Amino acid sequence: MFLELDNVAVSYGKVSAVRGISMRVDEGRIVAIVGANGAGKSTTLRAISGIAPVKSGEIRFAGDRIDRMPAHRIVGRGIAHVPEGRRIFPDLTVAENLRTGAFLRRDKPAVEADLEAVYARFPRLRERRGQLAKTMSGGEQQMLAIGRALMAKPKLLLMDEPSMGLAPIIVEEIARIIEEISRDGVTVLLVEQNAELALDLADYAYVLEVGSVALEGPADELHDNDHVRAAYLGI
Amino acid sequence: MFDLLAQTGLNALYAASYISLVAVGLVLIFGVMGVVNFAHGELFMAGAYVVVALYAGGGAPFLLAVAAGLGFVGLLGLLMEFALFRPLRDNPLGGLVASIGFLMILQATAVMGFGVRMEHIPPVTQEVIAFSEKVRLPMSRLYVIVAAVVLLGALWYFLKRTRFGWALRASAQDAEAAALQGISIGQTARIAMFIGAGLAGVAGALTAPLVSVNPHMGHSVIVTAFIVIIVGGVGSLEGAVVASVAYAFVHTLVTTFWDGVIADIVGLSLMLVVLIVKPTGLFGTADRA
Ligand SMILES: Nc1ncnc2c1ncn2[C@@H]1O[C@H](COP(=O)(O)OP(=O)(O)OP(=O)(O)O)[C@@H](O)[C@H]1O
Ligand SMILES: [Mg+2]
Repeated sequence: MFLELDNVAVSYGKVSAVRGISMRVDEGRIVAIVGANGAGKSTTLRAISGIAPVKSGEIRFAGDRIDRMPAHRIVGRGIAHVPEGRRIFPDLTVAENLRTGAFLRRDKPAVEADLEAVYARFPRLRERRGQLAKTMSGGEQQMLAIGRALMAKPKLLLMDEPSMGLAPIIVEEIARIIEEISRDGVTVLLVEQNAELALDLADYAYVLEVGSVALEGPADELHDNDHVRAAYLGI
Repeated sequence: MFDLLAQTGLNALYAASYISLVAVGLVLIFGVMGVVNFAHGELFMAGAYVVVALYAGGGAPFLLAVAAGLGFVGLLGLLMEFALFRPLRDNPLGGLVASIGFLMILQATAVMGFGVRMEHIPPVTQEVIAFSEKVRLPMSRLYVIVAAVVLLGALWYFLKRTRFGWALRASAQDAEAAALQGISIGQTARIAMFIGAGLAGVAGALTAPLVSVNPHMGHSVIVTAFIVIIVGGVGSLEGAVVASVAYAFVHTLVTTFWDGVIADIVGLSLMLVVLIVKPTGLFGTADRA
């Protein structure tokens, strides 16, 4: 089992955001989490990457429990997180942002090669590598956030609403990039409010409602599910 | 007239040197820890007392005493991180209050250890560089200027060119996003506290032979540092240095031609003007205020 959540609960103070959810993500797949605002999608990803405290339950990754590990150690295990709202470092340059993604890596030649690979994938980032990240457009910042995560050489990539606030043409490009990343052998756990996009890309999907898994199944089956169509696809 | 201006410029350069060391440390701690360290002036004072103990009292070479001041006060910074700021993480107001408590402890310790008297520290050197009859720079002041340039240069290199320097800037900008890159928040906090406190300590140590060392000397230093970082833009290291230089020149100029009290008033008014014209300070940005 690659990634497994077993009855995981997370609360912020008295607010319970995730109420005992169980999930599994198989290696090499794209798995999607869809759901309305406040359903607990981001919180689930934050619990996996260690920036939200897990109150009960277990998270296992590649055989080890990670739910009591600090965030900076989880990255070292091979999980990178493209957070909601991108969260790039505004006053670092594009190149510096990318290099912070490789903070834990000591294999210098491989880091340089991966930097080249990111620049090859996102030519805009190469053009702007000396520029402060805050001066980039929304789409470019999203590319930067993805590139930064790839610099960690992750086995599992968590992506939180990569399409948020972007023009349709950029959303298409992001979708293509997610497919590419997956084809390169990186497992992807994708959170999206854009259910159409998520179910299109994913092999398997979970539907979250108020902190619990309401539905799960192969993405194409969910795509045809009446409840999902009515509630999330607006059909 | 030209002589007087040149002399004032040299005096200002000296003042700018130690003010910027103090202010840059304060900004660094604020950026990474998210707390306003009110004890920063007392860290400066502690550095001066290291020189009192080792150089004036113990007969150690001055440079050694200065290095010890940096190291000892840096360790005080680590102690603050461990005992105050770590338990109060996510509570910036609590951190501020705790730092005020620490300020009083440091003052009381200095009073108990050395008494409230002014310390006499023998001059490091009596040499003076005379540019002309009236334009003179004492070597002891030149030392402070050179040390500040070297230390700030080293800090700049560390922040811009090293892995941990990037990590420090990244966590100052977004601590959670930094943790997601594998950067340990605890580690960057310790680095920031050691460097930030150490810079205040070394500033106090360097200037000890040139000012009156007493347990309450930190007070005026931190007021100046606050003005400077507000003018420079809270959170901006470059702003702190530029504002230190600007403040030192204005303050020294006014002190020379009128007097010190008017200079303080002018300094404060300058801060108000900057706040009215550009509320985020010269180098500040709205989202980081
Ligand atoms: N830092 C926080 N403090 C308190 N409550 C929070 C915090 N973050 C999230 N919550 C609450 O937890 C619940 C789940 O939030 P979460 O961000 O996981 O939802 P989401 O599914 O990602 O929503 P969205 O689609 O709007 O991003 C919400 O009720 C939210 O108000
Ligand atoms: Mg969310």
